[in-house]
Amino acid sequence: MDSHSSASRLTAEPWYLPLADEVQIFEAAYQARLPVLLKGPTGCGKTRFVEHMAWRLYRQSDSARRYLELPLLTVACHEDLTATDLVGRYLLTGNETVWMDGPLTRAVRSGAICYLDEIVEARKDTTVVVHSLTDHRRVLPIEKTGELLDAHPDFLLVISYNPGYQSVLKDLKPSTRQRFVSLAFDYPSIEIEATIIAHESGVATALAQRLALVGEKVRNLREHGFEEGVSTRLLIYAAQLAAGGIEPRRACDVAIARAVTDDAEVQKAIGAIVDVLLP
Amino acid sequence: MTPASGVPDAQRVHFTDIQRFLSLFAQGLAGTFLHVKVIETHGMGAGASRIMDGKSIRLPADIADFTAQQHNLGAYRVAVLRQIGYLVEGTFEFDLAGFLGRHTRPALLRRVFATIEDMRIDAAILRRYPGACGDLDRVLAYVLAKRPRISAMRPVSALVEALLQYSLGAARAPLQAQDWGGLLPGMIDAAAVVQRDGAQVHDSARAALDICAELEKLFRRPPRSPPLFLSTLEEFTRPNESNEALGDEEFSPSDAAGLLVEFRGELILDSAFKHRAGGQFATALQETQSPARGRMADGTGDAATAGVESPRSSAPMLHLPASGGPRSFLYDEWNFHEQSYLAAWCRVYEQRLRGDDFGFIGGVRSRHSTLLKQVRRQFSSIKPQSWQRVRRTSDGDELDLDGVIEAVIDRRTGHDADSHLYVRRDRARRDVSAAFLVDMSASTDFPLPDAGAIKDAHADAPATPPPDSGLYLYGGQEEFPAARSAPKRRVIDVSKDALALMCEALQTLGDSYAIYGFSGDGRQNVEFHVAKDFGDKLTARTWAALAAMQPRRSTRMGAAIRHALSKLAREPAGMKVLIIVSDGYPEDHDYGADRTDREYGIQDTARALQEAERAGVVDFCLTIDPAGQDYLRRMCAESRYLVIDDVTALPRELSKVYRTLTS
Repeated sequence: MDSHSSASRLTAEPWYLPLADEVQIFEAAYQARLPVLLKGPTGCGKTRFVEHMAWRLYRQSDSARRYLELPLLTVACHEDLTATDLVGRYLLTGNETVWMDGPLTRAVRSGAICYLDEIVEARKDTTVVVHSLTDHRRVLPIEKTGELLDAHPDFLLVISYNPGYQSVLKDLKPSTRQRFVSLAFDYPSIEIEATIIAHESGVATALAQRLALVGEKVRNLREHGFEEGVSTRLLIYAAQLAAGGIEPRRACDVAIARAVTDDAEVQKAIGAIVDVLLP
Repeated sequence: MTPASGVPDAQRVHFTDIQRFLSLFAQGLAGTFLHVKVIETHGMGAGASRIMDGKSIRLPADIADFTAQQHNLGAYRVAVLRQIGYLVEGTFEFDLAGFLGRHTRPALLRRVFATIEDMRIDAAILRRYPGACGDLDRVLAYVLAKRPRISAMRPVSALVEALLQYSLGAARAPLQAQDWGGLLPGMIDAAAVVQRDGAQVHDSARAALDICAELEKLFRRPPRSPPLFLSTLEEFTRPNESNEALGDEEFSPSDAAGLLVEFRGELILDSAFKHRAGGQFATALQETQSPARGRMADGTGDAATAGVESPRSSAPMLHLPASGGPRSFLYDEWNFHEQSYLAAWCRVYEQRLRGDDFGFIGGVRSRHSTLLKQVRRQFSSIKPQSWQRVRRTSDGDELDLDGVIEAVIDRRTGHDADSHLYVRRDRARRDVSAAFLVDMSASTDFPLPDAGAIKDAHADAPATPPPDSGLYLYGGQEEFPAARSAPKRRVIDVSKDALALMCEALQTLGDSYAIYGFSGDGRQNVEFHVAKDFGDKLTARTWAALAAMQPRRSTRMGAAIRHALSKLAREPAGMKVLIIVSDGYPEDHDYGADRTDREYGIQDTARALQEAERAGVVDFCLTIDPAGQDYLRRMCAESRYLVIDDVTALPRELSKVYRTLTS
């Protein structure tokens, strides 16, 4: 648990191209310490945005939080995630039990941003744990130790969810949803997506534009077995493969057509779309 | 590359083999669903009878013009790209009829405009789809090779043909080498304007007018006066004897017909798509709106639209959303006669039901108060405890004290300690997702004897059919005039009551469930109404949505089952149940060879139920059709259906079936 990558330490600026005013809104929300909810389809840049904002708010700051080792603690939520996993638990070490903070508690103590990715995947009772952190109280009650932990002044809670593909069974409770400033993300325009693809992969602008166009056209088929279309992330993968010497059509085949669907005819149609769009 | 006269069959590409692929290809590129249809012609000349309506793409039954299969497939792709080209490049926004109608030589203008517009579309295809360059060049070269010799033509026709051949990729110099009064270079220059990026359909129109003005110099006779009223576009394409009698100096419709490029086809725009954006020509036309155009717009007596299959009904749903249309999904259908699936055959439109009858559930509760209590009690008896503690897990909320003591003992005695030391609280839930699929066909409108309803209204109301007559199902309604003011209870009303009771009971049980209705009108318009989806909370809106279920049209059951299965597939539950409530056999006007082809629908439904079984979904058919035994036993196993003789017993039977299936 103590080995953190340089990415999580945010030693370099995570590149992010703003789509609208989300950077200003997030900064204003942080100033007021308002928790933030990010909504959007998979691979559209939610996580990158949080990383970028953490870098801006911590590494670019004049305050002491600049030196916080881990400014961003990310938890990928899953259906077995319990409140204990977030808050902490007693571990048996040697002959004694030792309390171990969970990622949420660590962020609350240290004043980091805690990012709960795909929050609706977690068990519904789990999400209630964050309620007292998201209103004026800003406290985390730790039931097991009897501690009522006041949040560090720099602490901020950010959650994300994908309203598209998740089962409606896993919708966010209104009592949770209505505690957050909500920022909606979507796939960017072709021009912006092309810029992102070119930057992330290093391919020429012309190819990046064509790949962005492929993304737009493939998203027109989203009702055929894949509900979200192709993510910006997958387009970047295709570009990265092309930059690595793979023929662009083949790169699109493995990174896009085969990644988004198992339906052979849809794959073939995507292949034909790629074929006519690429030079 | 070489046009082939005797292409082996292995290289021939058949439309039916690639229909779904082309449909997906077209939808992806156009960004909208386009109905890809076959026209019963063969090869690339099939475009000759093409009528474009902006909603469908028409393609030949097969193409074998090239020796390589890949190239024949490429010709299909080009045909799709060209027809999408007209759509996305704004051709449909142009008022062709008005444009031609104001010109003195409409047949000539039509041919020149079509040639230039095709040049514009081809140039746009090359810009938009550079990867299609090879296919397009190959097709154009093939078409060019088939063009007639210019030298044998009269001057005007020769010039238009030269322009046409230039548009197909013929070199400029050899064409210009033939002298037609030095007009060709100017014509080509005027036309080439439309090949630049950003050229609009109005640029094509302007270039066509300029070229026609030049060509006018070659006519020795003045043009006829423009017709006051144009009956249809066909006037321009139909050979006209009086025109032909004018002699060599006239450019007659038959001259125009000789200059038609088969692959490109005749540009006949469906009138429904003409007035989307007003350009200068469209505006000009509006000033001279003719009665004939009015007739075309309402779709009567228009030869140009006669071959266009009627699109989906404009208001097929009960309640259309405020913005955007309903989502649609394509499903295969089992063709019992051919013993094969028809790929992407049915289009299912999914639509939320919305209603305003918020008093519906009150009525249900009062009508079935005893039954409701009974069902609730039965269901609560099978409800599991809400939480359970799972001991000795590797991960959990708290330490398991017994486990910890044992682990410490093990350690002190030098043994390996078990790491499963936690207790976790898991919700002990019934892991069931159930979908109820209700027949909303027109036959559910038939009234049924409901003593209660009649009693509630007027005691002296005329009698409804006797309970054992079965007439409420398939006929005889008019023979039993219903009570004028009594709330007539219909088959659909009982179905709704039964489902409302199920909702109440399932709330007690905590199972995840959804309630859908289905109907439709033809394979392209299967309606799938969502009253309550999985995970929707049971609110007043849900009850109102349920109340809004009304008798609609046909019963294309297979497609509805397949769509319900796709929804169930997304549910995480361990047990999935699909309960179908119907009042008759599956039928639709194109469900089989004709409406009387019952076997087709029955076999498709049987197939869909087999698909359910393969997907691990437990299905069950409840029908209130007394004749249900006859076909249900061919659709599903005996343990998987129930025929209810007394329709009023449906609510009770439905809950019984559900308990049996899931406990």
